[in-house]
Amino acid sequence: MSIQYEAPLADSFGVADSFPKDFGYGEEEEEEDIEDNPTPSDSKPRILLMGLRRSGKSSIQKVVFHKMSPNETLFLESTNKIYKDDISSSSFVNFQIWDFPGQVDFFDPTFDYEMIFRGTGALIFVIDAQDDYVEALGRLHLTVSRAYRVNPEINFEVFIHKVDGLSDDHKIETQRDIHQRANDDLADASLEKLHLSFYLTSIYDHSIFEAFSKVVQKLLPQLPTLENLLNIFISNSGIEKAFLFDVVSKIYIATDSSPVDMQSYELCCDMIDVVIDVSCIYGLKEDGTGSAYDKESMAIIRLNNTTVLYLKEVTKFLALVCILREESFERKGLIDYNFHCFRKAIHEVFEVGVSTSRTSTQPAGTPLMKTVALNGTPRSTV
Amino acid sequence: MEKMTRVSTVSGHTMFCHLDAPANAISVCRDATQVVVAGRNIFKIYGLEEDGFTERLNLRVGRKPSLNFSCADVMWHQMEENLLATAATNGAVVTWNLARSCRNKQEQLFTEHKRTVNKVCFHPTEVYMLLSGSQDGFMKCFDLRKKESVSTFSGQSESVRDVQFSIKDYFTFAASFENGNVQLWDIRRPDRYERMFTAHTGPVFCCDWHPEDRGWLATGGRDKMVKVWDMSTNRVKEIYCVQTIASVARVKWRPERRYHLATCSMMVDHNIYVWDVRRPFIPFATFEEHKDVTTGIVWRHQHDPYYLLSGSKDSTLYQHMFKDASRPVDRANPEGLCFGLFGDLAFAAKESLMSGPSSAGDVGRKTYPGGDRRYPIFFFKKPDVREQFAQVSSALSVFESEAGSSVGMDWFINTAQSYLLSGKPFAELCEHNAQVAKRLNRPQESTTWTMLRIMFSEPANPSLSSNHNLNKSGNLPLVNSFSMKEMSAALNERNKENRQDNLHSLETNLNNNDENEETEGSEGQAEYLFGDAELDDDDLYSMEHDNHAAEEPEYLLPQEAFPLRHEIMDHPSAPEPVQERPESPHVSGSETENTCLTSTESFSLISVSQLLFSPHLPPKFFCPIVKEMLCFYAEQGDVQMAVSVLIVLGDRIRKEIDELTQEHWYMSYIDLLQRFELWNVSNEVIKLSTCGPIMCLNQTSTTLHINCSNCKRPMSNKGWICDRCHQCASVCAVCHHVVKGLFVWCQGCSHGGHLEHVMEWLKQSKHCPAGCGHLCEYT
Repeated sequence: MSIQYEAPLADSFGVADSFPKDFGYGEEEEEEDIEDNPTPSDSKPRILLMGLRRSGKSSIQKVVFHKMSPNETLFLESTNKIYKDDISSSSFVNFQIWDFPGQVDFFDPTFDYEMIFRGTGALIFVIDAQDDYVEALGRLHLTVSRAYRVNPEINFEVFIHKVDGLSDDHKIETQRDIHQRANDDLADASLEKLHLSFYLTSIYDHSIFEAFSKVVQKLLPQLPTLENLLNIFISNSGIEKAFLFDVVSKIYIATDSSPVDMQSYELCCDMIDVVIDVSCIYGLKEDGTGSAYDKESMAIIRLNNTTVLYLKEVTKFLALVCILREESFERKGLIDYNFHCFRKAIHEVFEVGVSTSRTSTQPAGTPLMKTVALNGTPRSTV
Repeated sequence: MEKMTRVSTVSGHTMFCHLDAPANAISVCRDATQVVVAGRNIFKIYGLEEDGFTERLNLRVGRKPSLNFSCADVMWHQMEENLLATAATNGAVVTWNLARSCRNKQEQLFTEHKRTVNKVCFHPTEVYMLLSGSQDGFMKCFDLRKKESVSTFSGQSESVRDVQFSIKDYFTFAASFENGNVQLWDIRRPDRYERMFTAHTGPVFCCDWHPEDRGWLATGGRDKMVKVWDMSTNRVKEIYCVQTIASVARVKWRPERRYHLATCSMMVDHNIYVWDVRRPFIPFATFEEHKDVTTGIVWRHQHDPYYLLSGSKDSTLYQHMFKDASRPVDRANPEGLCFGLFGDLAFAAKESLMSGPSSAGDVGRKTYPGGDRRYPIFFFKKPDVREQFAQVSSALSVFESEAGSSVGMDWFINTAQSYLLSGKPFAELCEHNAQVAKRLNRPQESTTWTMLRIMFSEPANPSLSSNHNLNKSGNLPLVNSFSMKEMSAALNERNKENRQDNLHSLETNLNNNDENEETEGSEGQAEYLFGDAELDDDDLYSMEHDNHAAEEPEYLLPQEAFPLRHEIMDHPSAPEPVQERPESPHVSGSETENTCLTSTESFSLISVSQLLFSPHLPPKFFCPIVKEMLCFYAEQGDVQMAVSVLIVLGDRIRKEIDELTQEHWYMSYIDLLQRFELWNVSNEVIKLSTCGPIMCLNQTSTTLHINCSNCKRPMSNKGWICDRCHQCASVCAVCHHVVKGLFVWCQGCSHGGHLEHVMEWLKQSKHCPAGCGHLCEYT
């Protein structure tokens, strides 16, 4: 396997590993109590992570959004405050992840759950599959029905978590059982319209990333457009599979319509890691400034099974990662031209997003979109 | 008979043609004469001729190819031969009418789906009904006489990967989803599915109804499995499961073969497999022609099981003949042989082999029910015996070794448990082990131990002289016997040694009783008597050689025979019953073996006498011999001996044998011990080993899962306070005090307590002392 970098990888700002979490918008603390004055960004769609204590919520958050290695999550302290993590500054995903401590009964009257659920896009309820989940199901029902009453637009996602310890049969059996019971509970409460989606997840493989990808994709209004763009792009360039990645979290926010194969997804994730790591070491300027991922970022990795991996920057937060065969890669000029068109189209898609959000009553949405539009420009000009 | 005539019109051989672009899906028309190939950049109809494919029609017309031509799926109507439907990647569903006179055959265009349409499906009997399933999670039913869909089904669970009308039930269709679910719908009720079940972990890519069996549905998914479900019962039941090596992209039942289905994969694996679901571990047939991923498979004719068409990403279209398929089972070895732990032997082979060659031919045929009817139509050179694939059954025979026969491994267990590897002075260890070996009828090992003791004992070993067991006046410690040897004949010496061995063993057995039975003198006499009993046997064969061996102590021996008997009878209740019990009744029996001892013992004699003449040789002198000896044992398969000696000798020999060999021996021995569930011994061996990698064994991944005895949840914290119920979990259920030291608990109910309390309790009652009603089991 050879890696060739075709362009200098640095010339802007940032530090190694390098998506400064506190990038701009100083109004947010990392930990913020819920009773604080709602900042403008509170109106952003939120992803809530909920579940019983020790079900793995903080681990999920750390692994997916903070690149923590799964083994290190063993040493995480249990969360005792609501941990609000705004990742919109470093990631494409314009969402806040709220990690609720498991032991807090937030239906306590002191909590304003109306406010919590109102701006929520998706509620992820984490169930520990290795534990007895009866209690968790009760809690799930309670949470979901309350949330649904406040805001019926929420996507309810259930992560059946820690399935790495279960055998394949057991996994299906658990999913079936949880599904059955949860839906029976809802039917008893005549809430049939409330729809739960179930995912089997584990932080020790990429299933948690895939599940998160699906959750995020459901919240993206542009998804069909992105998918179509990718379809067109790959069919005209002879590419086997293409993912549009959020670089910092390795969530794919869109892919073409062919089925996602876990191996190829993992391969692409690994490629991003490699590229960012190498560019952190060699891509920064001598004084340590510069960004590991910027406008010039691109990489080509040739595998020994006549497959080529191709990564290219699309926007400040997004990268396109493709898997293609060596013979298709002979027409690199064509691919590059198609990519150019594709990139322009993506930018246009999000331009629309900017203009609509400008006209809408979401002042907080704009800064991000602007950065997308002004992709690659130095921070000072944003 | 009508069926047969129709079938016989299909003929041909394995053939292929190049397409211009990768194919995504293929479909055949009803009379099996044409095939349509659709892909992102191709949409063509090929005619199936006797000797090859001919291109009939290119449906991709127009100057600027529309996205509507970029097909993800295609289906040829099975009733109306001019009607086709395609699913486009941009969400359009297009129907084509070949009867149109102009070049553009496109008839209708439905653009109702927002995302890629993954699958289209015509109703098998209804002409105008078309169903589509899309990435956006919706399925739509179209009436081709109308401009838009008549009903929309929301799966509410992610992308639809496949939709299939049931062949037998007019109104039913199945849909498979990316989240692993399969749903059954009634076409008349678009509001809610009739049935849903989770079929796979990960996406379900395909499903196919059985052409004959009502309610059988095969599904294939990313989890590399093909499952066959029986939907006819109240609860959906998985009846067969086939494990493949890559994610399953397509599955198609084979016509006319009830249990056969064909699969292909979407990644990695380019082959097409035909499975017999009753034999899920080895494919019935394999087609290996494609060089890239196979994307579409279809049986050429719905009543002909011998022709399979496939399209692939390598831009080829193949027609496979079943007789040209490779049969993996032919290359598989149908016999198996395995040794059991206790010397049993299991042997599995084809029944035909087992029942004798004369009937071998019939067995296979006889057991094949009702498949032969159709054969006469075809005139294969070889009548299709190979279709009987699934009926191959094998017989398993287990040959048990007789209890106590030489094949058994009892000696291994006994030896492992009885050997002492540490905790005593070297000479004593050797002595003990020699005794153990002897007791178990293993003279060679016994002699080896004795020799080792002699070789490596320092001439003036203080540990021996201070040994409290050898305090009898008439008894010369071993060291002294060395000095005596210099003066007396070697034979004599050996004899005396033998005696001392016996004495010694007796003493070790008795040493625990020493204090109690200190009735002066009698104990000593008892020992001598025992020694004499064996010595007599020795004398039987060594009599000729030494007449003057008689010494004072030996004369004393016969005097008190009866006390000795008592002692022997007592042994079983002595504190070390484990090794004694099975053997003590056989004392005399084992001694009859002594006749065969002679050769080895006299061999040992020589080396002993060598030693005698150079008593000051450093122990190092023997190392090469010992090393050779160890290797010999290891090669003989007696790794137990090798390791035991290695441990007992410790530093004396370790440097002589290279690390890898040592490690290998240790690993083999530990493995054996663990197979026999001799955990304690294996742990001791690990502990005593000096090999780095072995010592690490006990430091890695030793996990102890404990439950809190109060709330029965796993304890997650360190220490003994359960963090759920905040109580100390290690309370003795009998005395209700916190247990410090040995804590024993039942794995079933998590209750336990002090070892001795629980033992006492269990003598009275089988139930748990905590009163939980559990019938506790302790091992």
